Amino acid sequence: MTSETSLLVVFISMALINNLVLTKFLGICPYLGVSRRVDMAFGMGCAVTFVITISGTLTWMINNLVLQSIGMEYLKYIAFIMVIASMVQLVEMYVRKFFPPLYDSFGIFLPLITTNCAILGTCLFIDLWHLRFLQAIVASFAGGLGFTLVICIMGGIRENLEWADVPRALRGAGITLITAAIMTLAFMGFSGMIKG
Amino acid sequence: MIVTDYILAQLSINSMAWAGLTLLAMGFVFVLILTIANAKLMVEQDPTVEAILNALPGANCGGCGLAGCSAYAEAVARDHGLLGKCGPGGEATVKAIAAILGIEAAAAAPVRAVVRCSARANDKINSTRYLGVASCREAQMITGVIGCPYGCIGYGDCQKACEFDAIHVIDGLAVVDYKKCVGCGACVKACPRELIELRGMQEDPLLVIACSTLDKAKEVRSYCKVGCVGCGLCAKQVPTMFQMQQNLAVIDYEKYGSQEERDRAQDKCPRALMVYVGTNTQRETKREGISSGNENK
Repeated sequence: MTSETSLLVVFISMALINNLVLTKFLGICPYLGVSRRVDMAFGMGCAVTFVITISGTLTWMINNLVLQSIGMEYLKYIAFIMVIASMVQLVEMYVRKFFPPLYDSFGIFLPLITTNCAILGTCLFIDLWHLRFLQAIVASFAGGLGFTLVICIMGGIRENLEWADVPRALRGAGITLITAAIMTLAFMGFSGMIKG
Repeated sequence: MIVTDYILAQLSINSMAWAGLTLLAMGFVFVLILTIANAKLMVEQDPTVEAILNALPGANCGGCGLAGCSAYAEAVARDHGLLGKCGPGGEATVKAIAAILGIEAAAAAPVRAVVRCSARANDKINSTRYLGVASCREAQMITGVIGCPYGCIGYGDCQKACEFDAIHVIDGLAVVDYKKCVGCGACVKACPRELIELRGMQEDPLLVIACSTLDKAKEVRSYCKVGCVGCGLCAKQVPTMFQMQQNLAVIDYEKYGSQEERDRAQDKCPRALMVYVGTNTQRETKREGISSGNENK
Protein backbone atom coordinates (compact mmCIF):
# COMPACT_ATOMS: atom_id res chain seq x y z
CA MET A 1 0.00 0.00 0.00
CA THR A 2 1.13 3.53 -0.64
CA SER A 3 -0.19 6.96 0.13
CA GLU A 4 -1.80 6.99 -3.35
CA THR A 5 -4.12 4.02 -2.66
CA SER A 6 -7.83 4.88 -2.54
CA LEU A 7 -9.73 4.55 0.74
CA LEU A 8 -11.91 1.68 -0.50
CA VAL A 9 -8.87 -0.31 -1.52
CA VAL A 10 -7.24 0.43 1.83
CA PHE A 11 -10.37 -0.83 3.56
CA ILE A 12 -10.62 -4.10 1.61
CA SER A 13 -6.91 -4.62 1.80
CA MET A 14 -6.75 -4.30 5.58
CA ALA A 15 -9.96 -6.22 6.28
CA LEU A 16 -9.40 -9.17 3.96
CA ILE A 17 -6.21 -9.30 1.94
CA ASN A 18 -3.81 -8.22 4.65
CA ASN A 19 -5.97 -9.62 7.40
CA LEU A 20 -4.15 -9.10 10.69
CA VAL A 21 -4.80 -12.57 12.05
CA LEU A 22 -4.69 -14.81 9.02
CA THR A 23 -2.03 -13.26 6.82
CA LYS A 24 0.06 -11.18 9.24
CA PHE A 25 -0.38 -13.70 12.08
CA LEU A 26 -0.84 -10.98 14.65
CA GLY A 27 -3.24 -11.20 17.61
CA ILE A 28 -3.25 -14.99 17.71
CA CYS A 29 -3.60 -14.97 21.49
CA PRO A 30 -7.19 -13.66 21.70
CA TYR A 31 -7.97 -15.37 18.38
CA LEU A 32 -7.50 -18.76 20.05
CA GLY A 33 -8.22 -17.72 23.62
CA VAL A 34 -11.54 -15.90 23.37
CA SER A 35 -13.11 -17.64 20.38
CA ARG A 36 -14.97 -20.34 22.26
CA ARG A 37 -18.36 -18.67 21.82
CA VAL A 38 -19.55 -16.28 19.13
CA ASP A 39 -20.96 -13.67 21.52
CA MET A 40 -17.70 -13.48 23.47
CA ALA A 41 -15.71 -13.41 20.23
CA PHE A 42 -17.87 -10.57 18.94
CA GLY A 43 -17.41 -8.61 22.17
CA MET A 44 -13.66 -9.11 21.95
CA GLY A 45 -13.71 -8.07 18.30
CA CYS A 46 -15.61 -4.89 19.17
CA ALA A 47 -13.19 -4.03 21.97
CA VAL A 48 -10.18 -4.60 19.71
CA THR A 49 -11.77 -2.64 16.85
CA PHE A 50 -12.37 0.29 19.17
CA VAL A 51 -8.86 0.24 20.58
CA ILE A 52 -7.27 -0.25 17.14
CA THR A 53 -9.20 2.62 15.56
CA ILE A 54 -8.47 5.10 18.33
CA SER A 55 -4.85 3.98 18.66
CA GLY A 56 -4.24 4.03 14.90
CA THR A 57 -5.60 7.55 14.65
CA LEU A 58 -3.82 8.87 17.74
CA THR A 59 -0.50 7.26 16.90
CA TRP A 60 -0.65 8.69 13.37
CA MET A 61 -1.14 12.14 14.86
CA ILE A 62 1.59 11.71 17.46
CA ASN A 63 3.99 10.20 14.95
CA ASN A 64 3.44 12.70 12.15
CA LEU A 65 2.65 15.87 14.05
CA VAL A 66 4.83 15.56 17.14
CA LEU A 67 7.61 13.03 16.84
CA GLN A 68 8.61 13.67 13.22
CA SER A 69 8.49 17.43 13.60
CA ILE A 70 10.89 17.33 16.54
CA GLY A 71 12.97 14.55 14.96
CA MET A 72 12.36 11.89 17.58
CA GLU A 73 10.91 9.02 15.56
CA TYR A 74 12.97 6.67 17.68
CA LEU A 75 10.47 7.26 20.49
CA LYS A 76 7.60 5.84 18.46
CA TYR A 77 7.53 2.36 20.01
CA ILE A 78 7.31 3.75 23.55
CA ALA A 79 4.81 6.38 22.48
CA PHE A 80 2.62 3.86 20.63
CA ILE A 81 2.58 1.46 23.56
CA MET A 82 1.64 4.31 25.87
CA VAL A 83 -1.30 5.26 23.63
CA ILE A 84 -2.48 1.66 23.35
CA ALA A 85 -2.23 1.01 27.08
CA SER A 86 -4.21 4.16 27.85
CA MET A 87 -6.90 3.25 25.32
CA VAL A 88 -7.21 -0.26 26.75
CA GLN A 89 -7.70 1.26 30.20
CA LEU A 90 -10.45 3.41 28.76
CA VAL A 91 -12.18 0.44 27.11
CA GLU A 92 -11.89 -1.58 30.29
CA MET A 93 -13.63 1.14 32.30
CA TYR A 94 -16.31 1.48 29.64
CA VAL A 95 -17.02 -2.25 29.37
CA ARG A 96 -17.03 -2.62 33.15
CA LYS A 97 -19.53 0.19 33.48
CA PHE A 98 -21.94 -0.77 30.71
CA PHE A 99 -21.46 -4.51 30.05
CA PRO A 100 -20.61 -6.19 33.39
CA PRO A 101 -21.30 -9.79 32.17
CA LEU A 102 -19.02 -9.23 29.19
CA TYR A 103 -16.41 -7.79 31.56
CA ASP A 104 -16.63 -10.94 33.70
CA SER A 105 -16.38 -13.30 30.75
CA PHE A 106 -13.36 -11.52 29.26
CA GLY A 107 -11.37 -11.94 32.41
CA ILE A 108 -7.68 -11.43 31.82
CA PHE A 109 -8.08 -11.07 28.03
CA LEU A 110 -9.42 -7.53 28.29
CA PRO A 111 -6.31 -5.96 29.87
CA LEU A 112 -4.28 -8.25 27.60
CA ILE A 113 -5.47 -6.24 24.58
CA THR A 114 -2.61 -3.97 25.66
CA THR A 115 -0.14 -6.59 24.56
CA ASN A 116 -2.19 -7.63 21.54
CA CYS A 117 0.38 -7.33 18.78
CA ALA A 118 -2.34 -6.77 16.19
CA ILE A 119 -2.79 -3.25 17.54
CA LEU A 120 0.86 -2.24 17.74
CA GLY A 121 1.33 -4.00 14.40
CA THR A 122 -1.36 -1.91 12.75
CA CYS A 123 0.13 1.32 14.10
CA LEU A 124 3.55 0.33 12.81
CA PHE A 125 2.23 -0.76 9.39
CA ILE A 126 0.50 2.60 9.02
CA ASP A 127 3.84 4.25 9.69
CA LEU A 128 5.68 1.81 7.42
CA TRP A 129 3.35 2.38 4.47
CA HIS A 130 3.38 6.19 4.96
CA LEU A 131 -0.40 6.37 4.87
CA ARG A 132 -2.20 9.72 4.96
CA PHE A 133 -4.44 10.65 7.86
CA LEU A 134 -7.78 9.45 6.42
CA GLN A 135 -6.13 6.31 5.10
CA ALA A 136 -4.73 5.65 8.56
CA ILE A 137 -8.19 5.90 10.14
CA VAL A 138 -9.74 3.63 7.52
CA ALA A 139 -6.86 1.16 7.69
CA SER A 140 -6.98 0.81 11.46
CA PHE A 141 -10.78 0.52 11.51
CA ALA A 142 -10.71 -2.06 8.72
CA GLY A 143 -7.98 -3.96 10.56
CA GLY A 144 -10.23 -4.17 13.59
CA LEU A 145 -13.19 -5.26 11.48
CA GLY A 146 -11.08 -7.96 9.84
CA PHE A 147 -10.04 -9.19 13.28
CA THR A 148 -13.68 -9.24 14.44
CA LEU A 149 -14.75 -11.11 11.29
CA VAL A 150 -12.10 -13.78 11.68
CA ILE A 151 -12.55 -14.29 15.43
CA CYS A 152 -16.35 -14.54 14.99
CA ILE A 153 -15.99 -17.12 12.21
CA MET A 154 -13.64 -19.04 14.46
CA GLY A 155 -16.14 -18.77 17.34
CA GLY A 156 -18.93 -20.15 15.13
CA ILE A 157 -16.80 -23.04 13.93
CA ARG A 158 -15.73 -23.89 17.47
CA GLU A 159 -19.31 -23.79 18.73
CA ASN A 160 -20.21 -26.37 16.11
CA LEU A 161 -17.07 -28.39 16.80
CA GLU A 162 -18.44 -29.01 20.31
CA TRP A 163 -20.88 -31.45 18.73
CA ALA A 164 -18.55 -32.86 16.11
CA ASP A 165 -17.03 -36.32 16.37
CA VAL A 166 -13.40 -35.22 16.61
CA PRO A 167 -10.75 -37.94 16.96
CA ARG A 168 -9.71 -38.11 20.59
CA ALA A 169 -6.09 -37.10 19.99
CA LEU A 170 -7.13 -33.90 18.22
CA ARG A 171 -9.73 -32.65 20.70
CA GLY A 172 -9.24 -29.17 22.12
CA ALA A 173 -6.18 -27.26 20.97
CA GLY A 174 -5.33 -29.67 18.14
CA ILE A 175 -8.51 -29.29 16.13
CA THR A 176 -8.55 -25.55 16.85
CA LEU A 177 -5.14 -25.07 15.28
CA ILE A 178 -6.07 -27.22 12.27
CA THR A 179 -9.22 -25.11 11.84
CA ALA A 180 -7.11 -21.96 12.01
CA ALA A 181 -4.75 -23.35 9.39
CA ILE A 182 -7.60 -24.15 6.99
CA MET A 183 -9.06 -20.68 7.53
CA THR A 184 -5.67 -19.18 6.72
CA LEU A 185 -5.52 -21.14 3.47
CA ALA A 186 -9.00 -19.89 2.61
CA PHE A 187 -7.98 -16.27 3.24
CA MET A 188 -4.93 -16.75 1.00
CA GLY A 189 -7.46 -16.74 -1.83
CA PHE A 190 -8.00 -13.01 -1.31
CA SER A 191 -4.38 -12.20 -2.09
CA GLY A 192 -4.94 -12.00 -5.84
CA MET A 193 -7.91 -9.64 -5.56
CA ILE A 194 -6.08 -6.33 -5.94
CA LYS A 195 -2.85 -5.82 -7.78
CA GLY A 196 -0.16 -3.62 -6.34
CA MET B 1 37.73 6.76 22.71
CA ILE B 2 36.37 7.80 19.35
CA VAL B 3 33.41 5.51 19.76
CA THR B 4 32.49 6.83 23.21
CA ASP B 5 32.83 10.40 21.97
CA TYR B 6 30.51 9.62 19.11
CA ILE B 7 27.93 8.04 21.42
CA LEU B 8 28.15 10.93 23.86
CA ALA B 9 27.66 13.40 21.02
CA GLN B 10 24.62 11.48 19.77
CA LEU B 11 23.12 11.17 23.22
CA SER B 12 23.79 14.70 24.29
CA ILE B 13 22.10 15.74 27.52
CA ASN B 14 20.01 18.07 25.49
CA SER B 15 18.37 15.44 23.25
CA MET B 16 17.94 13.04 26.18
CA ALA B 17 16.13 15.71 28.11
CA TRP B 18 13.91 16.48 25.15
CA ALA B 19 12.99 12.83 24.67
CA GLY B 20 12.15 12.50 28.31
CA LEU B 21 10.15 15.69 28.30
CA THR B 22 8.18 14.61 25.22
CA LEU B 23 7.25 11.30 26.81
CA LEU B 24 6.40 13.02 30.08
CA ALA B 25 4.13 15.46 28.29
CA MET B 26 2.37 12.65 26.45
CA GLY B 27 2.03 10.67 29.62
CA PHE B 28 0.53 13.67 31.34
CA VAL B 29 -2.10 14.08 28.60
CA PHE B 30 -3.12 10.41 28.88
CA VAL B 31 -3.23 10.61 32.66
CA LEU B 32 -5.58 13.54 32.31
CA ILE B 33 -7.85 11.63 29.87
CA LEU B 34 -7.92 8.52 32.05
CA THR B 35 -8.58 10.48 35.23
CA ILE B 36 -11.58 12.17 33.65
CA ALA B 37 -12.78 8.83 32.23
CA ASN B 38 -12.35 7.18 35.60
CA ALA B 39 -14.49 9.81 37.27
CA LYS B 40 -17.15 9.59 34.56
CA LEU B 41 -17.19 5.80 34.20
CA MET B 42 -16.80 4.99 37.89
CA VAL B 43 -18.47 1.72 38.78
CA GLU B 44 -20.12 1.86 42.17
CA GLN B 45 -18.77 -1.31 43.71
CA ASP B 46 -19.32 -2.29 47.26
CA PRO B 47 -15.86 -2.75 48.84
CA THR B 48 -17.20 -5.72 50.81
CA VAL B 49 -18.01 -7.52 47.54
CA GLU B 50 -14.42 -7.18 46.44
CA ALA B 51 -13.18 -8.36 49.84
CA ILE B 52 -15.47 -11.40 49.71
CA LEU B 53 -14.35 -12.18 46.16
CA ASN B 54 -10.75 -12.20 47.34
CA ALA B 55 -11.65 -14.56 50.17
CA LEU B 56 -13.31 -17.06 47.80
CA PRO B 57 -11.29 -19.87 46.18
CA GLY B 58 -11.84 -18.39 42.70
CA ALA B 59 -12.57 -21.76 41.12
CA ASN B 60 -15.75 -20.46 39.46
CA CYS B 61 -17.17 -23.97 39.88
CA GLY B 62 -20.78 -22.83 40.17
CA GLY B 63 -21.37 -25.21 43.06
CA CYS B 64 -23.15 -22.44 44.97
CA GLY B 65 -25.78 -22.29 42.23
CA LEU B 66 -24.64 -18.91 40.92
CA ALA B 67 -22.75 -18.01 37.78
CA GLY B 68 -19.33 -17.84 39.43
CA CYS B 69 -17.33 -16.52 42.33
CA SER B 70 -18.01 -12.85 41.57
CA ALA B 71 -21.75 -13.50 41.28
CA TYR B 72 -21.67 -15.42 44.56
CA ALA B 73 -19.72 -12.61 46.25
CA GLU B 74 -22.36 -10.10 45.21
CA ALA B 75 -25.20 -12.40 46.27
CA VAL B 76 -23.75 -13.20 49.67
CA ALA B 77 -23.10 -9.53 50.38
CA ARG B 78 -26.80 -8.87 49.78
CA ASP B 79 -28.21 -12.04 51.35
CA HIS B 80 -26.23 -13.32 54.31
CA GLY B 81 -28.25 -16.55 54.28
CA LEU B 82 -26.19 -17.78 51.34
CA LEU B 83 -23.08 -17.89 53.52
CA GLY B 84 -22.39 -21.62 53.66
CA LYS B 85 -22.90 -22.35 49.96
CA CYS B 86 -19.26 -22.38 48.88
CA GLY B 87 -18.24 -26.04 48.84
CA PRO B 88 -14.57 -25.80 47.80
CA GLY B 89 -13.91 -22.99 50.29
CA GLY B 90 -15.20 -24.89 53.29
CA GLU B 91 -15.13 -23.63 56.81
CA ALA B 92 -12.16 -21.30 56.40
CA THR B 93 -13.91 -19.37 53.63
CA VAL B 94 -17.14 -19.20 55.62
CA LYS B 95 -15.24 -17.73 58.57
CA ALA B 96 -13.39 -15.25 56.35
CA ILE B 97 -16.61 -14.05 54.71
CA ALA B 98 -18.39 -13.87 58.05
CA ALA B 99 -15.56 -11.71 59.36
CA ILE B 100 -15.89 -9.40 56.35
CA LEU B 101 -19.64 -9.16 56.76
CA GLY B 102 -19.33 -8.74 60.51
CA ILE B 103 -21.65 -11.62 61.40
CA GLU B 104 -21.22 -14.74 63.48
CA ALA B 105 -19.65 -17.61 61.57
CA ALA B 106 -21.44 -20.02 63.88
CA ALA B 107 -24.62 -19.17 61.99
CA ALA B 108 -23.49 -21.53 59.28
CA ALA B 109 -24.01 -25.09 60.46
CA PRO B 110 -21.26 -27.57 59.62
CA VAL B 111 -22.27 -30.14 57.03
CA ARG B 112 -22.00 -33.79 58.05
CA ALA B 113 -22.82 -37.14 56.52
CA VAL B 114 -26.05 -38.77 57.68
CA VAL B 115 -26.80 -42.43 56.92
CA ARG B 116 -30.48 -42.79 56.21
CA CYS B 117 -30.78 -46.36 57.41
CA SER B 118 -30.86 -47.73 60.93
CA ALA B 119 -31.20 -51.47 60.32
CA ARG B 120 -28.46 -53.52 61.91
CA ALA B 121 -27.77 -57.09 60.87
CA ASN B 122 -30.49 -58.53 63.12
CA ASP B 123 -33.09 -56.02 61.94
CA LYS B 124 -32.84 -57.10 58.31
CA ILE B 125 -35.17 -59.91 57.31
CA ASN B 126 -35.21 -61.98 54.13
CA SER B 127 -31.63 -61.28 53.07
CA THR B 128 -30.10 -63.46 50.38
CA ARG B 129 -26.91 -65.35 51.14
CA TYR B 130 -24.35 -63.38 49.15
CA LEU B 131 -20.96 -64.88 48.41
CA GLY B 132 -19.71 -62.42 45.79
CA VAL B 133 -17.18 -59.62 45.99
CA ALA B 134 -17.46 -57.83 49.30
CA SER B 135 -18.45 -54.51 47.78
CA CYS B 136 -21.77 -52.70 47.97
CA ARG B 137 -21.55 -51.73 44.32
CA GLU B 138 -21.18 -55.36 43.24
CA ALA B 139 -23.79 -56.65 45.66
CA GLN B 140 -26.23 -53.93 44.62
CA MET B 141 -26.54 -55.63 41.21
CA ILE B 142 -28.18 -58.66 42.75
CA THR B 143 -31.85 -58.22 43.45
CA GLY B 144 -32.74 -58.90 47.03
CA VAL B 145 -29.17 -59.15 48.30
CA ILE B 146 -30.70 -57.79 51.43
CA GLY B 147 -34.45 -57.82 51.83
CA CYS B 148 -34.81 -54.07 51.78
CA PRO B 149 -34.22 -52.53 48.35
CA TYR B 150 -33.32 -49.20 50.01
CA GLY B 151 -31.28 -50.06 53.09
CA CYS B 152 -27.61 -50.34 53.94
CA ILE B 153 -25.97 -53.37 52.29
CA GLY B 154 -23.12 -53.21 54.75
CA TYR B 155 -20.03 -54.10 52.68
CA GLY B 156 -18.43 -50.77 53.51
CA ASP B 157 -17.87 -48.96 50.21
CA CYS B 158 -18.31 -45.78 52.23
CA GLN B 159 -15.74 -46.94 54.76
CA LYS B 160 -13.20 -47.48 51.97
CA ALA B 161 -13.98 -44.11 50.43
CA CYS B 162 -13.57 -42.18 53.68
CA GLU B 163 -10.22 -40.43 53.98
CA PHE B 164 -10.84 -39.51 57.61
CA ASP B 165 -11.67 -42.89 59.12
CA ALA B 166 -15.02 -41.43 60.07
CA ILE B 167 -17.49 -44.04 58.84
CA HIS B 168 -17.51 -47.71 59.80
CA VAL B 169 -19.79 -50.64 59.15
CA ILE B 170 -20.80 -51.80 62.61
CA ASP B 171 -23.08 -54.80 62.81
CA GLY B 172 -24.16 -54.50 59.18
CA LEU B 173 -24.85 -50.77 59.28
CA ALA B 174 -22.70 -47.83 58.25
CA VAL B 175 -22.23 -45.57 61.26
CA VAL B 176 -20.68 -42.12 61.06
CA ASP B 177 -18.15 -41.07 63.67
CA TYR B 178 -19.11 -37.42 64.04
CA LYS B 179 -15.95 -36.58 65.93
CA LYS B 180 -13.98 -37.33 62.75
CA CYS B 181 -16.44 -36.51 59.94
CA VAL B 182 -15.64 -33.33 58.01
CA GLY B 183 -18.53 -33.48 55.57
CA CYS B 184 -16.44 -34.00 52.43
CA GLY B 185 -19.11 -36.12 50.78
CA ALA B 186 -16.84 -38.95 49.62
CA CYS B 187 -19.14 -41.54 51.23
CA VAL B 188 -22.17 -39.94 49.57
CA LYS B 189 -20.61 -40.63 46.18
CA ALA B 190 -19.45 -44.11 47.16
CA CYS B 191 -22.83 -45.43 48.30
CA PRO B 192 -24.58 -47.16 45.38
CA ARG B 193 -27.93 -46.85 47.11
CA GLU B 194 -27.63 -43.11 47.72
CA LEU B 195 -28.32 -43.73 51.38
CA ILE B 196 -25.95 -41.11 52.74
CA GLU B 197 -26.75 -37.44 52.53
CA LEU B 198 -24.98 -34.31 53.66
CA ARG B 199 -26.98 -32.48 56.27
CA GLY B 200 -26.30 -29.16 58.00
CA MET B 201 -25.95 -29.90 61.72
CA GLN B 202 -28.05 -27.00 62.92
CA GLU B 203 -28.26 -28.69 66.32
CA ASP B 204 -26.01 -31.24 67.90
CA PRO B 205 -27.35 -33.88 68.40
CA LEU B 206 -29.72 -33.65 65.48
CA LEU B 207 -32.81 -35.79 65.02
CA VAL B 208 -32.82 -37.52 61.64
CA ILE B 209 -35.06 -40.00 59.85
CA ALA B 210 -32.62 -42.86 59.46
CA CYS B 211 -34.62 -44.73 56.88
CA SER B 212 -35.23 -44.28 53.17
CA THR B 213 -37.74 -46.92 52.22
CA LEU B 214 -40.62 -45.74 50.09
CA ASP B 215 -42.55 -49.02 50.30
CA LYS B 216 -45.86 -49.51 52.04
CA ALA B 217 -46.15 -50.90 55.56
CA LYS B 218 -46.70 -54.52 54.55
CA GLU B 219 -43.54 -54.77 52.46
CA VAL B 220 -41.48 -52.84 54.98
CA ARG B 221 -42.52 -55.20 57.77
CA SER B 222 -41.56 -58.13 55.57
CA TYR B 223 -37.91 -57.09 55.31
CA CYS B 224 -37.09 -54.78 58.21
CA LYS B 225 -37.76 -54.57 61.91
CA VAL B 226 -37.05 -50.88 62.30
CA GLY B 227 -37.87 -49.13 58.99
CA CYS B 228 -40.57 -46.51 58.45
CA VAL B 229 -43.97 -48.04 57.76
CA GLY B 230 -45.47 -44.73 56.73
CA CYS B 231 -48.07 -44.66 59.49
CA GLY B 232 -47.88 -40.89 59.75
CA LEU B 233 -48.17 -40.78 63.53
CA CYS B 234 -45.26 -38.36 63.80
CA ALA B 235 -46.83 -36.04 61.25
CA LYS B 236 -50.08 -36.14 63.25
CA GLN B 237 -48.23 -35.32 66.46
CA VAL B 238 -46.07 -32.48 65.12
CA PRO B 239 -47.41 -31.51 61.68
CA THR B 240 -45.04 -28.55 61.35
CA MET B 241 -41.88 -30.59 61.62
CA PHE B 242 -42.85 -33.91 60.05
CA GLN B 243 -44.35 -34.59 56.66
CA MET B 244 -45.14 -37.83 54.91
CA GLN B 245 -43.65 -38.19 51.47
CA GLN B 246 -44.15 -41.45 49.56
CA ASN B 247 -44.73 -43.51 52.72
CA LEU B 248 -41.70 -42.02 54.43
CA ALA B 249 -41.55 -39.52 57.25
CA VAL B 250 -39.50 -36.46 56.33
CA ILE B 251 -38.27 -33.76 58.70
CA ASP B 252 -38.56 -30.18 57.58
CA TYR B 253 -35.36 -28.75 59.03
CA GLU B 254 -36.52 -25.19 58.46
CA LYS B 255 -39.17 -25.86 61.11
CA TYR B 256 -37.08 -28.02 63.41
CA GLY B 257 -39.21 -28.38 66.55
CA SER B 258 -38.49 -28.05 70.25
CA GLN B 259 -37.18 -30.91 72.39
CA GLU B 260 -40.69 -31.56 73.72
CA GLU B 261 -42.18 -31.82 70.22
CA ARG B 262 -39.41 -34.13 69.08
CA ASP B 263 -39.88 -36.36 72.12
CA ARG B 264 -43.60 -36.53 71.49
CA ALA B 265 -43.12 -37.66 67.86
CA GLN B 266 -40.37 -40.07 68.77
CA ASP B 267 -42.43 -41.68 71.51
CA LYS B 268 -45.37 -42.16 69.17
CA CYS B 269 -43.28 -43.74 66.42
CA PRO B 270 -43.89 -47.49 66.48
CA ARG B 271 -40.53 -48.26 64.81
CA ALA B 272 -36.95 -47.21 65.52
CA LEU B 273 -35.90 -45.02 62.64
CA MET B 274 -35.80 -41.66 64.39
CA VAL B 275 -32.31 -41.34 65.77
CA TYR B 276 -30.15 -38.58 67.09
CA VAL B 277 -26.82 -38.13 65.35
CA GLY B 278 -23.92 -35.89 66.27
CA THR B 279 -20.90 -35.64 68.51
CA ASN B 280 -22.80 -35.76 71.79
CA THR B 281 -25.61 -38.28 71.51
CA GLN B 282 -26.54 -39.20 75.06
CA ARG B 283 -30.15 -39.86 74.20
CA GLU B 284 -30.73 -43.51 73.72
CA THR B 285 -32.91 -44.51 70.78
CA LYS B 286 -35.70 -46.86 71.70
CA ARG B 287 -34.37 -49.66 69.56
CA GLU B 288 -34.22 -52.27 72.33
CA GLY B 289 -37.85 -51.83 73.30
CA ILE B 290 -39.02 -52.12 69.70
CA SER B 291 -37.15 -55.28 68.87
CA SER B 292 -38.38 -57.11 71.95
CA GLY B 293 -41.88 -55.79 71.42
CA ASN B 294 -42.04 -57.22 67.93
CA GLU B 295 -40.78 -60.53 69.16
CA ASN B 296 -43.47 -60.65 71.84
CA LYS B 297 -46.15 -60.22 69.23
